[in-house]
Amino acid sequence: MTTLGNARGLSTARSLRSLAGFVGVVALAGSWAVARVSAQGSGDVRIDVKSGAIARLPLRCEALQGPQSGNASARDADGVLANDLQASAVFDVDRAWAPAANDPQPQFVSGGRWSVEGSQVRLAGELRDFPARRPILVRDYAGPASEWRRLVHRFSDDCVQQITGERGVADTRVAFVVREGQNKELWIMDADGANAHALSADKSIVQSPSWSPEGSLLLFTSWRGGNGPAIWVMSPEQRRPFLISGRPGLNTSACYSPDGQKIACTLSQDGNAEVYVLDARGGNAQRLTNHRSIDTAPAWSPTGRELAFTSDRSGSPQIYLMDAVGGSIRRLTFDVDYTDSPSWSPKGDRIAFVTRVGGGFDVWTCRADGTGAKPAVTGGNNENPRWSADGRHLVFASNRDGGYGLWVTDLDGALPRKLDTGGRRAMSPAWSPRRSTGS
Amino acid sequence: MKWSPRIIALSLAVTLAIAGAGCAKKPPATTQPPPAPTPAETAPTPAPTPPPAPAPAPEPPKPALTAADLQVVYFGYDSFQLDDGARAALDANAKLLRDNPNLSVSVDGHCDERGTVEYNQALGQKRAEAVQQYLSDQGIPSTRFRVISYGKERPADEGHDESAWSRNRRVEFTPR
Repeated sequence: MTTLGNARGLSTARSLRSLAGFVGVVALAGSWAVARVSAQGSGDVRIDVKSGAIARLPLRCEALQGPQSGNASARDADGVLANDLQASAVFDVDRAWAPAANDPQPQFVSGGRWSVEGSQVRLAGELRDFPARRPILVRDYAGPASEWRRLVHRFSDDCVQQITGERGVADTRVAFVVREGQNKELWIMDADGANAHALSADKSIVQSPSWSPEGSLLLFTSWRGGNGPAIWVMSPEQRRPFLISGRPGLNTSACYSPDGQKIACTLSQDGNAEVYVLDARGGNAQRLTNHRSIDTAPAWSPTGRELAFTSDRSGSPQIYLMDAVGGSIRRLTFDVDYTDSPSWSPKGDRIAFVTRVGGGFDVWTCRADGTGAKPAVTGGNNENPRWSADGRHLVFASNRDGGYGLWVTDLDGALPRKLDTGGRRAMSPAWSPRRSTGS
Repeated sequence: MKWSPRIIALSLAVTLAIAGAGCAKKPPATTQPPPAPTPAETAPTPAPTPPPAPAPAPEPPKPALTAADLQVVYFGYDSFQLDDGARAALDANAKLLRDNPNLSVSVDGHCDERGTVEYNQALGQKRAEAVQQYLSDQGIPSTRFRVISYGKERPADEGHDESAWSRNRRVEFTPR
């Protein structure tokens, strides 16, 4: 699948919203169709430029009309939609088909029609205010039955956009690593845990997957070939790895710059673990750090102008910032024990990291100037936090319920929720950017 | 994304190098040196012949020593310093390596599970490089070593206590 038609994204939805009562037809593109768009009423639109939680809005998820059994039934879609809307952290969802005594008075209702026509699935999705039931979003989606879940994800993401001004992240994926005996393989799944499958079968070690900014490629470290850790890149669809850097010593912790033109990584070719920037094909290594301590785990700021990284130059590992061309190194974290694994929010305002507490690690966040440090996840051992594209969630690996698995925090103080990885020993997650929906 | 010929060539070169390394590891099919074609010693030949290639030296006896015979070196928490015990083990290893000049080994650095993937990756490299440097300082050429860090990915002991951790903070020698 190469092109996905959609409702022309943010700008179209915003302009439509300004035309009260407008009902338009958006051109079709690719195999996905959007036949009808209606957006009216100002609703409760907030554009949030900060990472983290907002107060949830009560939403009643009403059952979609349509076939109640068979593959890709309306009932299946109901479950996925309710889960997506709740996972967005924008809505507090109650399920109309399973009412509970303490369901709040909703502010919004979702519903619509679901139909299966041969190999095609159609969703006529509706988001309305309550109790007046004036339409806020009425939109049609169509696509191959094999990808019916994506229709639901996109409707959920549109509902979030209609309310917050920014698309949700239901239609995204998570790359991760699964430990199998002494080996680790690269895996991928949808953000709700569906469609999990392996991308490698090297019987070697894979570490630190990281997405390209447009979401089409995965950088990762692998010991495949037996010559030590090297940086590879692979399309999750084509699954053919290409070598990016196999220099002597370490080649690890690689991530693309926000414009996709550069790769920050850790190399030890000059005798010590240092942070480097390579061009996107792995050439032209520019050394950014120069210290006899360990410097590693670079993470770009969303502007591409700065990098966070880990260094033990003060005696224990701590997070530092520096300019992306090198220089201006300053320490970010103080008053915390061993800290590592920085991840910069796509909103730019906060940096997540892990810090050691007792025998394990907690996930913390702080402002990009180092102030406002606070725990986001405690209990058990929690590692490798990575932001969602909307800065509202962090995915991380944890053994908080026993074996290692993947968890998500909505940064609202509530307990994190576990992603279903089928009982596999999952770790090192990387949340994808929003998927291309065509134009 | 486009792939430059250079990258493709590099990938191919790496693949070939790996394949070559794989071949080199195979034991010789026979320990008998192949019968070298002996040039006639007495028959004079008018045509100037290029000097005969030096007869292949008889294959040295297969070293009785293997990488597994070298002692494992252990480290303190979050440290790549070689303590007295580590140096004693490496002195013994250095003697074995001097006595078996054909043995090349992989020097594999490992860490315990405490600490992050990224940091331990670098720490394992520091440990392996410290060991390789010590042995090179004892006169063993660095060309006989390949240094690889496994971070905390390959524990020797899957336990979660100090006893297991102390066994996992190590540098092992494996066949190259």
